[in-house]
Amino acid sequence: MRTVRLYLRLLGAHFRSLMEYETDFLILAVATVLMQVVNIVFLAALFKTVPAINGWTFWSVLMMFGAVALAEGVGSLFFDGMWQLAWHINRGQLDYYLVRPYPVALQSSSAAIGINGLSNVIMGSLMIGAGLTHVDIAWTPWRVLLGVVLLISSIVIKLSINLATNAVSFWLASPTPLFAFAMHQVGDLARFPLSVYPMALKAVLGMALPFAFISFFPVAYLLETGQSAWLGLLTPLVAAYCAGAAALIFKRGLRRYESAGN
Amino acid sequence: MPIVEARALTKVFRRPDKGPGLAGSVKHLFARRFQDKVAVDHVDLSIGAGEAVAYVGPNGAGKSTTVKLLSGILVPTEGEVRIDGLHPQRDRMTVAHRIGVLFGQRTQLWWDLPVSESLAVLRDIYGVDHATYRKRLARFDEVLELGEILPVMGRKLSLGQRMRADLAAALVHGPQVVYLDEPTIGLDLAVKDRVREFFRGIRDEGTTVMLTSHDLADIEGFCRRLVIIDNGRIIFDGDLEAVKDRFARERILHVETARPAPLETLRASLPGAQVTVDDSAVRYAVRFDRFTMTAGQAVTALAGLTELVDFRVDEPSIEDVIRRVYSGELVLDGTGTGR
Amino acid sequence: MKGYRALTRATARAALTYRFNLLLGLGAVLVQLVALLAVWRVILGQSSVNGFTWPQMRAYLLVAFAAGTVVSVLGDFRMAFRILDGDVALDLVKPIDYQKARLAEAIGGLWIEVILIAVVVGAALVIGGGVDVPAGPALALFAVSMLLLVPLKFLIVYVSTLACFWTQNYTGVQWARLAVVNLLSGALIPLVYLPGWLAAVAQWSPFAGLTSTPALIFLGQVDPLHGLTLVAVQLGWVVVLWFGARLVWRAALRRLTVNGG
Repeated sequence: MRTVRLYLRLLGAHFRSLMEYETDFLILAVATVLMQVVNIVFLAALFKTVPAINGWTFWSVLMMFGAVALAEGVGSLFFDGMWQLAWHINRGQLDYYLVRPYPVALQSSSAAIGINGLSNVIMGSLMIGAGLTHVDIAWTPWRVLLGVVLLISSIVIKLSINLATNAVSFWLASPTPLFAFAMHQVGDLARFPLSVYPMALKAVLGMALPFAFISFFPVAYLLETGQSAWLGLLTPLVAAYCAGAAALIFKRGLRRYESAGN
Repeated sequence: MPIVEARALTKVFRRPDKGPGLAGSVKHLFARRFQDKVAVDHVDLSIGAGEAVAYVGPNGAGKSTTVKLLSGILVPTEGEVRIDGLHPQRDRMTVAHRIGVLFGQRTQLWWDLPVSESLAVLRDIYGVDHATYRKRLARFDEVLELGEILPVMGRKLSLGQRMRADLAAALVHGPQVVYLDEPTIGLDLAVKDRVREFFRGIRDEGTTVMLTSHDLADIEGFCRRLVIIDNGRIIFDGDLEAVKDRFARERILHVETARPAPLETLRASLPGAQVTVDDSAVRYAVRFDRFTMTAGQAVTALAGLTELVDFRVDEPSIEDVIRRVYSGELVLDGTGTGR
Repeated sequence: MKGYRALTRATARAALTYRFNLLLGLGAVLVQLVALLAVWRVILGQSSVNGFTWPQMRAYLLVAFAAGTVVSVLGDFRMAFRILDGDVALDLVKPIDYQKARLAEAIGGLWIEVILIAVVVGAALVIGGGVDVPAGPALALFAVSMLLLVPLKFLIVYVSTLACFWTQNYTGVQWARLAVVNLLSGALIPLVYLPGWLAAVAQWSPFAGLTSTPALIFLGQVDPLHGLTLVAVQLGWVVVLWFGARLVWRAALRRLTVNGG
């Protein structure tokens, strides 16, 4: 579709400037890899103490960490501009966006490429892959298809939460995406099995900000771990709901921008 | 049908009336008070295709808000806007192809891309074919000298370079209507000249232009129509030359004579004009109405009396008129007759 | 001396305006605290591991939180952006030592960090129950260790911000530092759980003094002699890094004056 082609074109325009700052790009890429390596070392050390936490082994938790990293990586690689929305709103940059024949949300999210995303996509994929090879799954074509659907859904959920929380900037006066960033950090909690958390936190991560559907529920379903593993089947529905909600919030926010000015 | 039409266009901004500091913010949570600011007040505006309209007013008069309303960036509180018969919010995508906007205070170029790349991205967003694009860019280059700034990164552009690039960006898709909001702000004279020549060029091609500017020299020789807005209301909408003819009729002839001449003799030779001594004994200023006397007549009359060394004529400018309107000295009714 | 005190006071006063950045920086450490508390509660629920019981681990994590909050928030980005924006040129003209000035500012921000720590730790204690406070001498040693934490943390952050003289992308440098420090300081997991060689490297690195040392002293997991050694290592690193930073600074200045802003 033309919208997608144009989006890649908009993103691609930044690629050249990335190449110009090779060292910086390398530093960021390496730093991101380092972050995941530290995560792996931590998990390895943690699981030396016990074989499993609430039924979750090292490999399954590694998969959860990987899923979060992968989803975040896709977000950073293809939609990093979203994090500048607060800045653009503050400076009235959206005025020009509104005058162009292309969706404002897409113009905003294509404003930057986060090369750390590439590292996260690679590391996340490796972590998921490593996890998969160390667990017992009967791989049927159905299961493979389901895995792919769950993966895509998980990424969609992450992107939607990013969009929705950044869209909150329409209501706040700050030039930095504080709320979105704070919520993003909360998402890091969902790298661990949900069952370790108290009820209130479980509810937040499962429903209010469904980070748990990015990693926990899909992985739980695939690996058939835990009692609520069946909830993993709901992931695509949650993804659709999140995408819709995010689009709605953004539209509302844009309407506020159009009526209140800046 | 006019290409841009606004009827009873109104925009009211509601701002929370908060006291200062943390205490004020907390109090506001309990007792919400708002202040309404009417930025644009029932503006009726009709612009025909190909017109060049000057939209002038003091700071805070509502000029930029009007431009935003006319380009669909802001939603009106009351009234309506039609661009080529289309609704700017409902038909946003279609309208986007018809209009171009330049906000002088802000750039639409990408910070981390060279200008050529920014323009190319816009070309693709608007779907301009490559041949047309190249031709257009060549035309821009003639007047704006775009060639030298094409490889420069957005963030490294000087103000003059940035404005030239932004002008190209606003017109890359050949819109029928262009809104130029303070397009010469902060520019040096050389760039201003080039930019003004560019304005005349696009007008001559038939593009409808609406220009807001504080530099009234921008509109002289470019806009036929003058609209003055103050406090959100249009206080004048009419022909620029007609306004000057009515209210800027005065000319001042400055002469330098070889020897001091008796003032009464000079005055007697120029009935209907005011003759005063300028800054020295051999310099005189003759103030006259250009419809009752020509500069030539005045010079001839003086030359007959005394030897003239040098002279110049001060032209009336629209700036003088508008200054008098702002200061309240001159009150125009909507049709251009004044008091 | 007066100049530095003024800087401290100025930062202290301005600290509230940075409250959003503060909460942001706090967020990461807080999230880690919550996650680790939850996970370890399950692991140590039945039995202790590697000498840690659940109440001990709880105390460890709370000390880690306190250590992680100190000097984290205000220092980092401000110092970095000063250099990236070129404002550092103005600082160079002032008759004030750049390094000491930044330390003064970091100290200025302490009061608000202490309040945040008190609030979070207080809440954790109320929710989860109290912790055992160690005996007198150990407590005193703990206090000393925590005090040394401030200049140590400052120096590590400071040296990493000097990277801005060499690269535009401070974010990458910061993330790398955060990851390495998180692991090697014992904040993520007590060093005793790491493989032997890694634990040894961490123990002798400057990072151990950022979390592991004060936490272990607080838990009474080290005998007095060992504790003193650990604190001595902390102090040693403060000295080494202080002068090491000055060397890096000189190199940075050379780069600045040769290359321009």
